[in-house]
Amino acid sequence: MRRTVLGFVVLSLCVVALSFITLVSGPVDVSMGGLLESPIFWDLRLPRVAAALLAGVALSVSGLSFQTVFQNPLAGPFVLGISSGASFAVALSMLAGLGFGRFGTLGAAAVGSLAATALVLGISARFRNNTVLLVAGLLIGYFIDACISLLITWSDAESLRVYVSWGMGSFGRLTSDGIWIFALAVAAGLVLIGASVRYLNGARLGDDFARGLGIRVSLYKKLVLLGASVLAAAVTAFCGPVAFLGIAVPHLAYLLFRSSNHRVLLPGSALCGATLALLAGLLPEYPLNAVLSLVGVPVILWVLVRSTRRGGL
Amino acid sequence: MLLNLRQVTFGYRSPLASPLDMEVQAGQVVALVGENGSGKSTLLKTLGGMLLPLDGSLELEGRPLAEYGLRELSKKVALVRMGLAAPAEMTVREFVSLGRSPYAGFLDGRSREDEGIIDSAMDDMDVTLFASRKVAELSDGERSRVYLARALAQQVRLLLLDEPDAFMDIPRRKNLFVTLQKLSREKDMTVVLSTHWVDYAEKYADSILAFTSKGMLEFAPASRARELGLLSWAEV
Repeated sequence: MRRTVLGFVVLSLCVVALSFITLVSGPVDVSMGGLLESPIFWDLRLPRVAAALLAGVALSVSGLSFQTVFQNPLAGPFVLGISSGASFAVALSMLAGLGFGRFGTLGAAAVGSLAATALVLGISARFRNNTVLLVAGLLIGYFIDACISLLITWSDAESLRVYVSWGMGSFGRLTSDGIWIFALAVAAGLVLIGASVRYLNGARLGDDFARGLGIRVSLYKKLVLLGASVLAAAVTAFCGPVAFLGIAVPHLAYLLFRSSNHRVLLPGSALCGATLALLAGLLPEYPLNAVLSLVGVPVILWVLVRSTRRGGL
Repeated sequence: MLLNLRQVTFGYRSPLASPLDMEVQAGQVVALVGENGSGKSTLLKTLGGMLLPLDGSLELEGRPLAEYGLRELSKKVALVRMGLAAPAEMTVREFVSLGRSPYAGFLDGRSREDEGIIDSAMDDMDVTLFASRKVAELSDGERSRVYLARALAQQVRLLLLDEPDAFMDIPRRKNLFVTLQKLSREKDMTVVLSTHWVDYAEKYADSILAFTSKGMLEFAPASRARELGLLSWAEV
């Protein structure tokens, strides 16, 4: 209990401190006094902080949900082909010139990831074996990547450049108008998942066990997968395909909080994810995916090694 | 009458045994015996409402089992299987606490009363000492007791146990039967357990339900089971 409270307090302080640092630092020097009047603050720095916070929270919660539902520590929006689905739809709109009208990139990403989720769900209803599902998800991912590479060969240099830079991920692409749409999409995903805590806590032991606890498994499984896909889609649309956070952060949360209760793990993962995303966002001049992996992998390996030495794993 | 079965047949497609008539009072222990593959687990699933009977009427506390809602049923019946794999991070206390899930609200919180029930369930199964250890790291016998403690925390009227003694040594097994007998009386809870240990069943159960030969299912008081031939298939 004390560990949990301490963890929440320390991580919240990290999030606040890193947000502050991101807001006051940047290539252009803005004096502290004039900060709030400066357009740089409202149009560049605030959206950047919002993007990092929302993406960190969304990817971690999405990854945790997928891992729990599929009872597999490797599950995540990337492994299940859901991020690929989003990428494919975005590639269609950027490379093949298929407009998605006023829905734009977000709409495309949402449609793509939901289609991939529907496919994954369909497969999971047919095969109750979760390993089959992961293999199927990987295969779907490869198939979609192949389709994207075809689109790449057929596209002109300019749209290709746009797509490739989108593919590296960035917190700098969010505009101040986009913040609200991103925040709403993330809130919707979080509500769907938050309403299913009782299911998530039983789900780690299998569908039959959860049903024995009086949980309507098929309903809540759909709610959680829908929520987790919306989260992954929103991040893909606004920040590009951001790898790594979804799969790694839940493990960091298990180790820090030493709990399997989603009442602790969901907020815990969200805070860990926001912290790591803000840390990676401190270096905006480098590709986000590269920085995330360069910053994140050592942190998580260090935690893993430390806890193994203590016999924690 | 807690359990009332009239001409019940069960199985996945075709019946696994002859139609079963059985009445069980609250607070009784019923031992289910039979060879491997005879249908013990399938019968337990049917009694737990996870599988519909193929035919006949199956009533729990005077109401057809199929009429119970999922959450309502989970406050009446728990099925415990020992082969369950627990997730790596889950502690004993967290696992036992899952037994309060049917009573929990929207956000799956636990009240002070819930915590008290969890404590006493862990005491009953003698697992309090390792409450903060991880379930996945326990020995098979210790884990079996933790799984039972979860079902006790669920405060059901009908406890279905699928070979709870499979991983236990002789003193532990004896202890288990004594504990189950005591708990069923104290809590007025009916226990149906499958076991391969016929002599323990005879000594500690109130009645015996036996797959006597291919497709034959018979029910009798434990004291008369041997003379009625329910156990002849198990003689050495």
